[in-house]
Amino acid sequence: MSTVATPLRRRGGAFEEAAKFAAFVRRDALIAWSYRVAFVSDWGNLAFQAGLFYLIGRMVDPSNLPTYGGSRATYMEFVAVGIAVTAFMSLALDRVSSQLRQEQLTGTLEALLLTPTTATTIQLGSVAYDLLYIPVRTGLFLALVGFGFGLRFHASGIAPAALILVSFIPFVWGLGVLSAAATLTARRGTSAISYLITFMTIGSGAYFPLGVLPGWLEAVARVNPVTLAVGGMRRALLAGIGGGELLRALAPLVLASGCSVALGAAAFRFALRRERRRGTLGHY
Amino acid sequence: MSAVPDAPASLANRPEGAAAELPEPPAGDFVVEAAAVTRRFGQQAALDGVSLRLQRGEIHALVGPNGAGKTTLLRVLTGLVSADGGSVRVLGLDPDRSPREVHRRLGVVGSGSRSFYLRISGFENLLFFARLHGLRWRAAAARVATVLEAVDLSDAARKPVAAYSTGMQRRLAIARALLPEPSLLLMDEATHDLDPHASARVRELVTNAAGAGAAVLWTTQRIEEIKGFARNVTLLDRGTVRFTGSVPRLLAHALHSQYLLRLSSARRPPTRLLNGETVVGTLAPHDADDEHYTLTLAGEATLGEALDALLAAGTRILSCAEARPSAEEAFLSLLRDRPA
Repeated sequence: MSTVATPLRRRGGAFEEAAKFAAFVRRDALIAWSYRVAFVSDWGNLAFQAGLFYLIGRMVDPSNLPTYGGSRATYMEFVAVGIAVTAFMSLALDRVSSQLRQEQLTGTLEALLLTPTTATTIQLGSVAYDLLYIPVRTGLFLALVGFGFGLRFHASGIAPAALILVSFIPFVWGLGVLSAAATLTARRGTSAISYLITFMTIGSGAYFPLGVLPGWLEAVARVNPVTLAVGGMRRALLAGIGGGELLRALAPLVLASGCSVALGAAAFRFALRRERRRGTLGHY
Repeated sequence: MSAVPDAPASLANRPEGAAAELPEPPAGDFVVEAAAVTRRFGQQAALDGVSLRLQRGEIHALVGPNGAGKTTLLRVLTGLVSADGGSVRVLGLDPDRSPREVHRRLGVVGSGSRSFYLRISGFENLLFFARLHGLRWRAAAARVATVLEAVDLSDAARKPVAAYSTGMQRRLAIARALLPEPSLLLMDEATHDLDPHASARVRELVTNAAGAGAAVLWTTQRIEEIKGFARNVTLLDRGTVRFTGSVPRLLAHALHSQYLLRLSSARRPPTRLLNGETVVGTLAPHDADDEHYTLTLAGEATLGEALDALLAAGTRILSCAEARPSAEEAFLSLLRDRPA
């Protein structure tokens, strides 16, 4: 065993922790690539969804749709952003909330926890690949739909839309971690969070204008962070917002994201501590 | 506990930057010191006042029946489970308060058969875990190649782990445990589902790691495998320590009450051996050849009394050999004596 005595080179502190994200991304990229059929079917599903909404859009009276930058959007323009944001949200939430559960089921969670890695790095690292891939997927989807269906997206709105999406990511991550914490400690007790997420997605105006909702529900939906993200991206891509209007769109999203991350991180730490105390971390 | 071997060069000569942050107990200190550890799950005491100490280079077997508390003790030592009471020091640190520092020098091989990402190769799995141990890409790749070679998996390094046999996966788990050059190896039922050849190979790898200075805590229910392998043994039963000491001392607890006799087949020997009115032993055919018998002494009877009774019955004794006390018998003997 003398060959095992290679000297080790380690980094230290926060830099060491940050460097581990690359390892997580590489691992998950390799695993994702090993499921090529799933990769292709995901894009097939998106194309099918876009085609379906195109056909539905032909039945929708454009006068019922809001105007952006003085011109009325087509239903396809309206709904494409909604599909992109809600697909982003559901996929990212699913990955964030299920990744640790998956690690628990495959027996790798304990192996991860037995390395000198913080719980936060494990949580964030486990979804680092998805948080990189899914926004790229969202952008690609919008680009393909834009070209494919001849949608009039403002080129000047692409950067603001990307900024809005990026500021929305921590909100989704925080919700996902909250869900993961519930799964970690309650195994299957996440239905309350699932209902909340479904409610937030439906009440986001992704597929229909908020004006069709009852008054009280519309008021609630207007402060829904998903609504803020969908609405902000629509204004960016269809009206080409910038400057002060962009800041006004970003501010509440950043606030919601901060709250979501803080809540998720606290819940995860609590769940991990509880599982250590109960001795049931490896149970599933 | 026995003497502590000198720390090998591989453990002593750590690179700059690593040495400062890695706890390295001075020679002679215990790698593991657990004192009066208790842990309850609801009303059930999984550990009840368990004490254990391990030194560098020592292979210490932790044996006990199912539910004895072996795995719980291992999980307490890793910090995955908190102890309710008592004190635990691993590498001089409390694993509950300083898990990351402990994990830097800890290798664990769990009992579960699944702890790898099956879709990617053994090399990529280990590379990932090496990076989580803080190694840079190049150093991690070199280290992975080294440990894969040490466990004879270099040829299968690029195959997906799903294509590995159980024995190969277990060796891969050992390779992962060796990644941080551990000062402590925790092996939980590491051979329970392996064939004898693969088990021997795993024990050989662990012996080598101990030879390089790692303390090894080896839990098993295959009692016989600790002979000639472990230096010391602790027997846990229902969360309490029933025995702790050297393996020869454990074997001394086996009852030396059975002997293998070869008798003359001219006359059929009696099945009950009497010294006057007192039964001093029983005789049972050992084989179908009417020549070999197992003699079991009764109560406090001596071997001489039993042989005298045989001779008095006109039986010729051709040979007499003590049935070798097994670790399994010692284990059972100790468990038989436990309080209800």
